[in-house]
Amino acid sequence: MTLLNAALQGVFLGAFYAVLACGLSIMFGVMRIINLAHGDIAVFGAYVVFVIVEHTGVSAFVAFAAALPVMVVLGYLLQLTVLERSLKGGILTPLLATFGLSIVIQNLLQLTFSPDVRSLGGSAGALTTASWQVTGGLSVSALGIVVLVVAVLVFGALQLFLSRTRFGWMMRATAEDADAAELVGINSRHVYASATALAVATAALGGFFLAIRSVFDPVSGPTQLIFAFEAVVIGGMGSLWGTLLGGIALGVAQTLGAQVHPQFSVMAGHLLFLVVLIARYGGGRIALRVAR
Amino acid sequence: MLKGTGLVLGGLAVPGVLESCLTSSSSTPSGTIKIGYISPITGPAAGFGEPDAYVIGLAKKALQGGLSIGGTDYSVQIINRDGQSTPSVGSQQASDLIQSQKVDLMLTTSTPETVNPVSDACEAAGVPCISTVVPWEAWYLGRGAKPGQPSPFKYTFHYCFGVEQFFLAYTHLWPQVPTNKKVGVMYPNDADGNAIRGVLAPLLKGAGYTIVDPGPYEDGTNDYTAQIQKFISEDCQIFNTFPIPPDFATFWRQASQQGYTHHVKIGQIAKTGLFPSQVTSLGSIGNGLASGVYWAPTWPYKSSLTGVTSKQLGDGYESATGKQWNQQLGASLSLFDVAAAVLKASGNPKDKSKIVDAMKTLTVETPVGNLDWSKPASLAGTAVPNVVSTPIIGGQWKEGVSKWPIDFVICENAADPKVPIASTLKPYTG
Repeated sequence: MTLLNAALQGVFLGAFYAVLACGLSIMFGVMRIINLAHGDIAVFGAYVVFVIVEHTGVSAFVAFAAALPVMVVLGYLLQLTVLERSLKGGILTPLLATFGLSIVIQNLLQLTFSPDVRSLGGSAGALTTASWQVTGGLSVSALGIVVLVVAVLVFGALQLFLSRTRFGWMMRATAEDADAAELVGINSRHVYASATALAVATAALGGFFLAIRSVFDPVSGPTQLIFAFEAVVIGGMGSLWGTLLGGIALGVAQTLGAQVHPQFSVMAGHLLFLVVLIARYGGGRIALRVAR
Repeated sequence: MLKGTGLVLGGLAVPGVLESCLTSSSSTPSGTIKIGYISPITGPAAGFGEPDAYVIGLAKKALQGGLSIGGTDYSVQIINRDGQSTPSVGSQQASDLIQSQKVDLMLTTSTPETVNPVSDACEAAGVPCISTVVPWEAWYLGRGAKPGQPSPFKYTFHYCFGVEQFFLAYTHLWPQVPTNKKVGVMYPNDADGNAIRGVLAPLLKGAGYTIVDPGPYEDGTNDYTAQIQKFISEDCQIFNTFPIPPDFATFWRQASQQGYTHHVKIGQIAKTGLFPSQVTSLGSIGNGLASGVYWAPTWPYKSSLTGVTSKQLGDGYESATGKQWNQQLGASLSLFDVAAAVLKASGNPKDKSKIVDAMKTLTVETPVGNLDWSKPASLAGTAVPNVVSTPIIGGQWKEGVSKWPIDFVICENAADPKVPIASTLKPYTG
């Protein structure tokens, strides 16, 4: 029962990682950009929700619905103003640009909001502490269920969008070969900017869940980014369903690892990540990739 | 043309002459005293640096007329720098203040990541340095001193609480609420967590408490199911932790979801819950958590440099910034009290050895208490001459006490009986 409960909490935790990783996966899949500012964008989203809650007093969930369009617009503009230019400079430039962006966002947030820690846990209401004790040792938290359901819905919707809609096809075509897509009349600028807008919106969702689960401050982003990266890699770079499964695998590895010893929790996640990396690419091929 | 060249040459020559004057006469008064001040203004420990602007403002105002020492008038310049909560930056800022600014005295505060590298840089360069708000064992042992051996530090001085003060506070706070004396502890695998596990836990065992320790965990862990299950099955009615703030927020919410908080009668937190924002951000489950403070506006001491009482300090900060007081205010201001007192006592503030000598016997009133370096802390039966231990006072965060969402209510004063007690500890009911 103890192990079952740990695995269940791991699934909830993993769903959170998957939501956080979703935008990373999109940006890598469509544009081959590794966005080092992804964690900071998530925290930025949490601050936008926080500001709306502070000024209007509405529930955190209502505030998030209001923040979403803001983040979509910001994401679109981010691509047009920063990332598009950096993409022209080769593969390293976007990495450096997003690294810089990460520092800029952290310091802007600190200037505006001070280093005080904030949380949306209070304004999200009783949901954050509610739970059902199924049996003695098995507890299902309402928040865990919400995060899991939202994660499945978001990934499902994105998958449908990419496989069934015209714009989804355009996005995949651009991801395959942007120049060829341009030849058949696809506006790749618009497609790229839309992909970034989607990624920023899902990052904000991740930041929102972080803010409910725990607390956040201007420098909270990078600590969560590592888990998001691992979820993407475990699930396979650029694969959406893979990212969801990768996140859940990472979460379960951490909670089961903690059953062995609390110190083994984070380590178990890292080990899973390494094992997957070696199994998928093989030790030799990793070395080759580095050498190239 | 020729005249022009002469001027340029003259212009070049003058700084050289001045410099040689300064270096050759470093032990004679030259008119200006430079005080360096390094604290974390940005980064994870930035909360500690927040009151700096207000505190440095008070100190500058008190020092604007300069100091008269040994019959000579000196103007005083405070140069403050951001340690960015990062050891390498703290070290770099210290070197810059020492080498480029040629500070006469260094002050530094808040967390080992900022204070220890600054102290090390000063010790190496032979510049007197006064520091606070790092548990003193972490400052002393963390920089390579050995218990039972003479202090290896000549230029660096420290005052802060240590493990003994936590022990005093806890053992006077916890008996106020009836419990089964079983303490569930979450001490992380970092400098603070391991020091507390090694020193505080055995002391608590000796005082009759049963320690339930699931073992160290890594900072940044996102799920605590394993620990929560253990605490529930052992029915740990007291909970104690020294985590980084986001980890505690995650843990406490999960403990609430999984039903552990119903077992908890005393939730004793340290390292997090120092500032009101860290507690209010938890929402309703933050109300009733027990913690400790190293200063509060009800402290009966005043700042000897500025003449500001503890109450005036808290009120002044609240009206100037619109934010609630926090305990770092008193600690940060106390550094300037110590600085002014030791500069005066030295007789010659430009002579670093005189400052060091004056430091060894200095007594000074500060908001955090009366500090006396002739009565140093001790470790393993040996006096630690550079260090003065200061109190930690136990209490509880409570909603609905004042106009602020949450207030710290003092419930014991074992480490300093002059600090007034406001209430008794109430069981946690969150």
